[in-house]
Amino acid sequence: MLYSRSNNIAFCHFNLSKANVKASSFNLKLPTANWLFAFLIVVLSSCAPKAYKNLQQTDGNADCLQKFQLKYERVLYRATVDVVGNHLSGVLLIKQMPDSSTRLLFTNEAGFKFFDFEFSKEGAFKVYSIIDKMDKESVKKTLQRDFQLILMNKPLGFLKPYKFKIQNANEHYFAYNEGEDFYYYITKPDCSQLLRMERGSSTKKVLEAFVSDMKNQVPDSIRIHHINFNFDISLKRIYDSE
Amino acid sequence: MIKFFTLFIFTFFVNAVFAQYKLVPDASSFKSEFAAVSSKTSSISADFTQVKTLALLSEKLTSKGKFYFKKDNLVRMEYTSPYQYLMVINGSRVSIKDGNKTSSMSGRSNKMFQQINQLMMDCMRGTVFENKNFSVRLFEDADTYLAEMTPVTSQMAGLFKKVNVIMKKGSFVVGQVQMFEPSGDYTSMNYSNQKINTALADALFAIK
Repeated sequence: MLYSRSNNIAFCHFNLSKANVKASSFNLKLPTANWLFAFLIVVLSSCAPKAYKNLQQTDGNADCLQKFQLKYERVLYRATVDVVGNHLSGVLLIKQMPDSSTRLLFTNEAGFKFFDFEFSKEGAFKVYSIIDKMDKESVKKTLQRDFQLILMNKPLGFLKPYKFKIQNANEHYFAYNEGEDFYYYITKPDCSQLLRMERGSSTKKVLEAFVSDMKNQVPDSIRIHHINFNFDISLKRIYDSE
Repeated sequence: MIKFFTLFIFTFFVNAVFAQYKLVPDASSFKSEFAAVSSKTSSISADFTQVKTLALLSEKLTSKGKFYFKKDNLVRMEYTSPYQYLMVINGSRVSIKDGNKTSSMSGRSNKMFQQINQLMMDCMRGTVFENKNFSVRLFEDADTYLAEMTPVTSQMAGLFKKVNVIMKKGSFVVGQVQMFEPSGDYTSMNYSNQKINTALADALFAIK
């Protein structure tokens, strides 16, 4: 299954003012039916608060984000996934392949593969394998977008910079969109620190992600939190004997 | 092309490893001897090293831990490196402890865990030839027996292409379980420092 990448990508530099919008988190304890999980992702994603309505264009470019782009050759994370009452755990392998594609492979502790994804050098997404329980378009699209946000695998030089006006904020937003999907990187005003990443639409936030303890552009931990329903991914770097 | 070449080399290597084994046409004497030894085994503890080989990614994932078995159906599998993870089978109850989170197991993804441990328990109890999910052929070399287990149920065939259980001759202690997946990936569980019939407290098989 191959999702081609949109060519209509814009890169913007935003400033957020009065964007202290509380996320309306749902605490769902529901059965594990596949259709319900897919349904929740689609429906609840559309219920997100309007977090970005006060963003305004300002001057600047995205070059300073380069130092935050994650550089993986081979890295292992202890991974836990909590989704609508279900708990999965295992190991996430992120590996740069000889053709410069990136593979993401998630197995449980016994080695059973949950999924095996690829982002090509150009950013195209491919599913090599996924377990039946997760084999839904909405689930795969969500995971694709989540990991696309985290990996920051869009070449900055390829993207067109836009300038936006800064107003009353201690945070700068950098964003690009693919169709209606917007990816946000939020930094300090001097771009000295990446505060968090967010994903959503031009107005609504559906996810926020945090990276911490960056060492050589590889974070020690990553946390992905979906705003509108219980779907959290937590990654903690581990070191095997290789 | 490189991927197919890697897979070819991997397959060739795996086949070469087992080329030394010869088929045992009549396993009846093995079965009776195995059953006699197993009946005297009440517990086992061992260190394990799990190596998952991802053939097309040219990648190995290695983890280590402790394995405990107590008759009839108590198993403790404790991963200690590179992460902490604990699984306990106590009769029909399967519990896991992941960090501070304790939960019960369910679902297909955990079938692999359960099958690994079912195979280990079958070996301890001498019932490996009675597992209805597999057809079994017996091979031997100078020092070991190799029970080659081929799935006969579609559910098991979805998990494994085949499973090899390697036991020492005489003691019938399991040294290695090799699991070959339909995708070409391969997981090896290597057991070492095996101790037979040592006292294992029941508390080992409870998760609090």
